[in-house]
Formats: sequence, C-alpha cells, structure tokens
Amino acid sequence: MNIAAWLILLLPLFSAVVIGLGAFRSRKVSAAISVGAVVGSFLLTLLLIRAGGELRTSVTWLEFEGLQIDIGLQIDTLSKLMLCVVTGIGGLIHIFSLGYMKEDMDFSRYFAFLSLFVFSMIGIVLADNFVMMFIFWELVGISSYLLIGFWFDKSSAADAAKKAFLTNRVGDFGFLIGILMVWAALGSVGFADLSNALSGETAAVTGLAGFLIFCGAMGKSAQFPLHVWLPDAMEGPTPVSALIHAATMVAAGVYMLCRVFFLIDGTWAMEAIAWIGGLTSLMAALMAVQQDDIKRILAYSTLSQLGYMVMAVGLGSPDAAMFHLSTHASFKALLFLGAGSVIVALHHEQDIWKMGGLRDRMPRTYWTFFIGTMALCGVPLFSGFFSKEAIIDVALQSNLLLFLVAVFVALLTTFYMTRLFIVAFMGEPRSAQAKRAKESPALMTVPLLVLAVPSVLAGYYNAHAPNPLVLCASLVMLVFGMLVANTVYSGAKADPLPARFVWLAKAMRGRFWFDEMYQWLIDRVQENLAKLAEAIDRRVIAGLMVRGTHGTTELAGRVLRLTQTGNLKAYAFWFAIGMAALLVFTLS
Amino acid sequence: MEPLLNHYLLVSGALFAIGLLGVIVRRNLLIIYMSLELMLNAANVALVAMSRFNGNLDGQVMVFFIITVAAAEVSVGLALIVALYRKRQTADVEDLATMKL
Amino acid sequence: MDWLLIIVLLPLLAAAAVGFVPGSQLRTIRGITLGASGLALLGALIAFCSFKVGGGLQFETKWTWVESLGLHFHLAADGINIGIILMGAIVAFAAACCADDITHRMKEFHILLNLMIGGILGAFASMDLFFFYFFHELALVPTFIMIGVWGRGANRNYATYKITLYLSLGALLALIGLIGVYVQTGAESFSIPDLIAKVRETPIDEAAQQWIFPLLMFGFGILVSLWPFHTWAPLGYGAAPTATAMLHAGVLKKFGLYGLIRVAIPMAPAGAQNWLGVLAWLALANLLYCGLVAVRQKDLNQLIGNSSVAHMGFIFLGIASLNVIGLTGAVLVMIAHGLLAALAFGLSGHLYRQTGSLDMSRMGGLLRQMPLAGTALLMALLAGCGLPGFANFAGEVTIFFAAWLAGLKTITVIAAWSALVIGGLYMMRAIRNILHGPRGDDWAKASDVNPLIATALGLLLAALMVFGFAPGLLTKGIESEVTKIVRLAKPAADASEAQATEVAVR
Repeated sequence: MNIAAWLILLLPLFSAVVIGLGAFRSRKVSAAISVGAVVGSFLLTLLLIRAGGELRTSVTWLEFEGLQIDIGLQIDTLSKLMLCVVTGIGGLIHIFSLGYMKEDMDFSRYFAFLSLFVFSMIGIVLADNFVMMFIFWELVGISSYLLIGFWFDKSSAADAAKKAFLTNRVGDFGFLIGILMVWAALGSVGFADLSNALSGETAAVTGLAGFLIFCGAMGKSAQFPLHVWLPDAMEGPTPVSALIHAATMVAAGVYMLCRVFFLIDGTWAMEAIAWIGGLTSLMAALMAVQQDDIKRILAYSTLSQLGYMVMAVGLGSPDAAMFHLSTHASFKALLFLGAGSVIVALHHEQDIWKMGGLRDRMPRTYWTFFIGTMALCGVPLFSGFFSKEAIIDVALQSNLLLFLVAVFVALLTTFYMTRLFIVAFMGEPRSAQAKRAKESPALMTVPLLVLAVPSVLAGYYNAHAPNPLVLCASLVMLVFGMLVANTVYSGAKADPLPARFVWLAKAMRGRFWFDEMYQWLIDRVQENLAKLAEAIDRRVIAGLMVRGTHGTTELAGRVLRLTQTGNLKAYAFWFAIGMAALLVFTLS
Repeated sequence: MEPLLNHYLLVSGALFAIGLLGVIVRRNLLIIYMSLELMLNAANVALVAMSRFNGNLDGQVMVFFIITVAAAEVSVGLALIVALYRKRQTADVEDLATMKL
Repeated sequence: MDWLLIIVLLPLLAAAAVGFVPGSQLRTIRGITLGASGLALLGALIAFCSFKVGGGLQFETKWTWVESLGLHFHLAADGINIGIILMGAIVAFAAACCADDITHRMKEFHILLNLMIGGILGAFASMDLFFFYFFHELALVPTFIMIGVWGRGANRNYATYKITLYLSLGALLALIGLIGVYVQTGAESFSIPDLIAKVRETPIDEAAQQWIFPLLMFGFGILVSLWPFHTWAPLGYGAAPTATAMLHAGVLKKFGLYGLIRVAIPMAPAGAQNWLGVLAWLALANLLYCGLVAVRQKDLNQLIGNSSVAHMGFIFLGIASLNVIGLTGAVLVMIAHGLLAALAFGLSGHLYRQTGSLDMSRMGGLLRQMPLAGTALLMALLAGCGLPGFANFAGEVTIFFAAWLAGLKTITVIAAWSALVIGGLYMMRAIRNILHGPRGDDWAKASDVNPLIATALGLLLAALMVFGFAPGLLTKGIESEVTKIVRLAKPAADASEAQATEVAVR
C-alpha cells in the first residue's frame, strides 16, 4: 500500500520529467504518458479507497535537532476525498485537453506542465506536515503560473501569470510566518505531532498564527483582498481554468484549512475567516452579474463559491466546506469544460453577447452545461443543492448576518448563471461564428458527459435532510432569481442593466476598482521605495561615500603636492628643521 | 687647559652647522656635495671624541667604515655630477628641477 | 588518495602548460583548460562520493613548509568545505565551457583563468591560515586583471578600480584580523585545527576578541558585498567577462562567508556574541534594500548582480543566528547560490554575445527564440526567487527557521517579505520582460546556446536540483562540523537552547 501511495504522488512527476527530458519531441508519446500517469494515479487512489483505513509513510528531507522536515504521505478520509477529486477530475480534463489543445504548437509542453501541476497538487493533498505543504504550495503556484502564461507570446497572458504568482506570494508570506510561529510555539511542523501537542491543553497557538496560516489560503483560494488574480488567470487555456482555477488548486486553500482545522479552532482567526469568506462570496457574486466574458463569469462564480467554503470553515464546519468543495469541483469543472467546448466551436470567441442559439447547434454541450448550471444554482436533487444547503445551514446556526449574506449570494448566483445560460445558449445567434458553430468532437464531449454524472449524483454521499427554513429560503431565492433573469434577458440583444443602474453596473463591471487601487498602491509605495533605495545606492553610497572617499583622497593629494616644489635646497631646509625639531623633542 | 668632550662636540657641531648651511644656501652641486662631506666629517669627529672619552673603540671602528663608504660614495657622486654636467651643461640645482610636477 | 591535492594542482599545472603553448593554437589552449577543469570536477565528484560524514578531516595532504613559524601546506576536507569544493569544481568547469567568448589575447586569459580556478579551489581546501589567505589572493588578482583587460562596457575602467580597491580593502582588513588571531592565540602555528584546539583550552582575551571579530566581520563582509559595502558587486559583475563573473560571483565571493564560519566565529566567540546582532541588521539591509534596488534595474546583469547581493543577506542572516540550523542553512545557501550565480551569469554572457546589450526593455519572447537558453534562464530566475525543488529553497527555509529560533523575529518577518514578495517581483518582471511577450526587434537573429555551453548550464541546473531534492546529501556533513563550531561559540547558551527545544517538544 505504501508503494501505491508513493506512486500516486510520483507518477505525474515522472511524466513531467520524461516529457521535459525528451519525450516532448513526439506529441503522441507526451500525451500518452501524461494521461497515463494521471489515470494511473486515479486507479491507485481507488485501490487505496477500497483497501480502506489510514496510512502514513515518510522519508526525511532535512533533519536537525528540534526541526525535522519530512516528505510524508498522510492518507485518511480527508485526503482520499481530495485525491479522488484531483486525479478523477484531473484525468477527465487531461482527456478533454487532447481535443482542446489539438491544434496547439506546444502540445507536449502543455502536458508536461499539466503533469507537473497534478504532481504538486497531489503533494499538497498528501502532505503530513507544514513545510511539505508549503513546498508543494509553491510548486502548485509555479505550475499555475506556467499554465496561465502558457501562451506567453500574448502580453495579456504573461501579465496575468505574473500577477497571479505575485498575489499568491503575498499570501505565502503570511503562511510562512504562520508556520514559523506554530513551530516556535509547539516545536514541530508535523500535523500529527501538532495535534498531539495540542490535545489536552488549551489552544497554545495564537489567533495571529492561525490568521497568518489562513493568509496562505487567502492567496491560493483567492479570498478578499487577494482575490484579484483569479479572473485574470482565465488567460490560460480553458481546461487549465477548469482544472486549476475551478476544481483543484483554488480549493487547496480550503483543503489546507480543513487539514489544520484543529490548530485554528477556537481562536479569533475563525471569526475573521468566516467574515472574509462571506465578504468574498458576496463581492464576487456582485461582480459576476455584469461580466460579459463567459470564462470570467465562471471565474467570479468560482470566487463566490470559494467564499462559501471558507465561510463554512470559519463558522466551524470543515465537513460542510469539504462537501461543497467536492461537489463544486465536479460541476464547476463541467461548466468550464462546457465553456471550453463553446469557445472552440466559436473559434475563441468568449463574449456571451456574440453567442446565442447554441442549443440546437451543440446539443451535448448544451445539456451538460444545463446540468452544471442547475447544480451550481442549487436546484433540488442536483449535487450543489445538498452542499450549499449544508453551508447555509451552518451559517443559520452560528451567525445570522452571514446567513443573510449566504442567502443573498444564492440569489445572485441563480441570477447570473441564468443570465449566462439564456444569453449564450438560447435565442438567436448574434454573430457569424455562432451561426456556424458545430458540436465539439467526442474527445471533448465524452468528459463532459462523464462529469455530468457526479454533478448530479455527488451530493448523495453526504446528503442530510435539509433544515426547513433553509430549504424555504433557498427555494424562494432560486425561483425569484430565475424569474428575474428570465424576464430581463430573454430575447435581449444587449445587457439592459447598465442603462438602468448606471453606477451600480459600472462598479460591478469595474470589479469595484480593486485592481486600480492595488496598482495605485504598488506604484506609490513599492515603486517609490525602490526608487528611494536606488537613489540612496546611487547618490549616498556610491556617490557621497565612495566617490567622497575618492574625492577626499584626491584633494589631499592635490594639497600635499604643493609642498613638492622640486627645489633641492628647500627640501634640505625642511629636512634640517625637521631633524632639529625631532632632536628637541627627544632630548627634552 | 685639558680639552673636554664638550669642546670636541662644539667643533663637531660647528662643522655640522657650516656644512648644513652650505647645503641649504649654495646652488652649485659641487659645493653642496663638499658641504655634505663636511657634515659627515662632523659626525666622525663626534664619534672619535665619544670613543676616546668613553674608553670604547666601537666609535672609531665606525669612523673607519664611514671613511671607506664615504670614499666610495664620493667617487659615485662625483661621477654622477660630471655626467649630469655633460648632459645639461650646468651644475646649478635651480636648473635641475625636471622632477617637479 | 590525495584527491584535494590533485584538484588544486591540476588547474595550476594547466596554467603553466598554457604558458608553453603558442598563442595561436586556440584549440589546444581551450582543450587544456577544459581538460584540467573537467578532471578536477571528476576528482571533486569522487572525493564527494567517498566522503564519510562525521569522519573529521579527510583526503589530507600535509607538508611542512617553515617549521619555526608553524607554516604547513595543509589541504583537507570536512563536512563544511567538501560541498563547497564540489560546487567550486562544477562552476569552474562550467566557466571553462563558457569562456569561448574570449578571442583577443586568449592565451593570457586562459592562464589567468586557470590560476583563478586553482586559487579558488585551494582557498577552500586549505586548512592552514597562510595558504587559506594566499590562495584567495592568488584567485583575486587575476580577477582584477581579467575585468580590466577583457571586461566590457563603457564603465569598465571605473568598475575595475572600484572592485580592486574594495576587495583589496576587505582582504587587508581580514588580514589584520587574521594576524590578530595568530598573535593573540600564541599558538605558533598557522594550522586552523591547531588554532581551534588552542582557543578551546585558552580562549583569546575577551578585549582582544572585541576588535578581532569586527575586523574579520567587515573584512570578510566587504569581500561578500555586505551592506553598505556592496556597490562594487553589480558594477564589477556587469563589466566582467562571463567566465570571471561566474567564478567570482559563484565561488570566490563565498570565501568571506567561509572565513566567517571557519575562522572568525570559532576564534572570537565572545566578539561574535556582541557583533552578530549588528550583522543580522546588515543582512536585513542586504535582503530588503538590495532587493528594492534590484527591482529598479533595467539591465539584466545589474539585476542579477543586485539580486546576488540580496541573496548574500540570507547567508549573513544564517550566520548571525549562530545556531546549528542557521549555520547549516548558510553553507547550504552558499553552495546553492554559487551554482545559481554561475548559471545566471553564464546565461547573461550568452545573451550579451547575441546583441551586445542586456537592456531588458528591448528584449522579449526569448523563450520562443532560444528555447534551451530561455528554459535555463527561466529555471534560474525561478530558483532565484526561492522555488522549492532547487537547493536555494532548502537553504533559505532553514535559515528562516534558524533566525526565528534565534529570536530575530522582526528581521525574519521582513526578510521573508523581501524573499518571497520583493524577490518574486523582480524575478517575475525579468521573466516577463526577457522571456515572455512578443519578441524584441533586435533579437531576430539571436541563436540558441551551443552544445558545450548547454552542457555547462545543464550541469549547473542538475546540481541545483539534486541538492534541492536531497539537501540531506550536504546538510548531514555540514551539520556535524557546524555543531562543533556552535558548541565552541556558545557552550552555555547551547545547553539552555536544547532545553528550550525539549520543553517545547514536550
């Protein structure tokens, strides 16, 4: 079993290395290796789940007195669930990519990066200590960077990749300090040791440490105020958006919080986490209402759903968060892949106002997208219904204000998803590409069909009888949202909202101007600090001090040279005076 | 009157001062050179006198060395002055200031 | 086998051999240099593999030179320097591979290059204070000449003056300190193990330690571009020929750090206790301030130079923590950074040869134009911002732990910010400007690296990743030696610290 666990981690790494070292010359071999690796990991995961029980195995990476850093695998219920999501959905997305990336000149590089990502993601899932998690945390960041910037010739993609990486780095900074604080307080970085050290005592970890660790999640899971990178990350290929920026990597933050829940439980950090989650979900849902790019709408929706999960953790229910994480992973991946299928059919047109009438032209994409939308809106009996219900239920029991936020977000979710669905798929085609759209090949539609199954059914493994109040509230919101969206957008040729709510629509479109604010802050603070440092370097250190020393030396030389008259007699005279003075001094 | 050490030292000092004055005020290299010799010999006088009055021969031995070395030095120095004169047609130190910046 | 003797002598013999070859036979000259450094690398690899962890001094060569003064020609390796010697040999071979951009007066260049390589390897292998210093100077003097004669750019002369004056000053201060150590111990031996044994019994007078340590700290510090004595580094490396920059930034520069760990701390522990606080703040200045300066650079070489100065901050911080974790991390970063700096300067040298300019605003899309060099540069820049998988990360993260343990919390927080965010910022900007985006107009005809340089770069990258995946290969040996130094430096504090850890664990 240990070998199986290690293989799950190492197969994708092997794939990435082999492709990188030479297999990239053949597109077919690269694709086969990469898909084989992730499918192999999935099968091994199923094997582990069948075997049941927990498993721990580790090798030492660095060892000192008082600090031991392992590369260790921890296989328990939590990591098994996440492994299923990562390798299962990852496998489907690999297969979808075979069709989506068929035309790309860097097909092999794409699969190498994808394998690298799967490796790093599995590393996070299996990590049994903080430092290993941090290592893979960074590796996931870099694979995400490489994939967002996959089409790096395009300036926008390169910029988006840079932004994503740097925003994540800000979060990682907090994460690292948090790890150091926990280590200093409890003397270990291993989750098992930490949990032992904490048991029986009152919380030894301060809220600050907990909050700093949450900062890591804030970056990866794109929570306010580090949410700005996720929408831009849509510059990457669509399957990447589905895998990394919807199903797995962005969920890593939530996963990590669940993994270390025992550390933060009971500190003030919980409160902060809940509010940040709620705020993010509300803000992102508002922004989603006024986006026109099909992928961006889904991106904001992802943000909003991640906010739900983080809020659930903050309110003390990691189970609900993980539940929503797993269902969300499948239906959001489905939605993204559906969007990818549409984008390919429309020759990389992403504006929903240039779509329309795709229902008859792309039936399989249409129906699977429909299922995804239903699941996301939380229509009863679809998977999203159960998990969203669970979160709203948690909110109702612990924080009324957040409950109201959650319900309002549910309304917004229904509204913008219905808008997306009606505008993109119903009505008449609004562009030449939309008229000529054809259904995507089987390589792409089969993963859609497969993903549709868990999107419907995934909720049942953890279904509870819903709280009547929650059920009522969310059903009302669902029906209301759908009706409003239907009235506003049915048959519309352009978005009518900006004309009616000028300022609100503008703010939503402008994403509440966070990017501009950050840009201003970076320009003002960071750039000026850098300018100051460079000025000091140039003027004070290299100028005043170095050239000053040089100048003083030279000046002294010039002055002293005046005494060098070249007159022998003068020298003799000074010499005699000097000797006389010396004599006087020594003799007296 | 029995000559005392001080008398010898006075003579030596006077010789030295005359030599130094010569070095400083004269312009002709040859004269300066002779003045230098005068200063050397002033030192010799002092050394011999010290040796005599302290009953120690070290000073006289030293004088022998000085005389021999001075002889060698004079020959080299004079040769240099002559060579210089041939090249520059002058032995005046005021004119020999090419080293000055 | 006396592997170290072979490693040190090979380049010196090669220097002599090149002297007898007519200057017109370019291929022979290059062959000699490549052969010598290649064999030295092979020797270093064998020595590294057959090294026994915790086995004290190994591969010893000890010849008495001047009995009465206690001068010995003494080469030996322990856990600290075996890794550095291996790194030095790798970098030396890579530099020899990258030296083919020199065509003018090639013979002289190769003589100096071989001298420099021999000096570098000798300095790190010497266990005798005299030869330790002598070999360093033997490597340093050719550096100046190489920058002055074969350097590039309009600022070449200024850069040569600056680097010469700075480094001579540093070496001089360190020399005074070393003489102080020799005189104050009264050991009548220049052998470092003898001196350490001596101070273990009778430590140097505390008052004397208070001036010996700062002398060594600033002297060695200037050699490593300690803030505020750092401005020579970016300037000098910007003007230096590729091979020289690789060797100096990669290996020779580490001499100062090595000296701090090997000589200054064990000889003057009481002085160290007093002054390491200052060093920690200066290290922070290196990290934060030079990182900020790096953000503003528009020239690739200036950026690498400044970031390299910033990285020195990690090592100083590790040393300033003065615990086993920190010193081990410091040596680890020394090795990692050596490989990385050589890689970065090797690549910038290749880029410079393409268009004669390293202005980043005129570059772009080079990942497409030169896939091999581009990928290597991408990996180098990512390693530079501390990506796991490269040895730099392992060292840096250990240093953070050590600094936190040593109670330098404020410094650690700011250092982490500079490392993760500011480091990320300038590296990402560099990638964005150089490798990504549409291709710069001047670069249409740029060609990728030739197989020889590709081998060199591949070797450096491979070493970085091997030590990144398995830092234990280095840390085990380093830790066993460093523990002795820490115990010597703070016998009392060590015990209480161990107790504190124990309490924490419980």
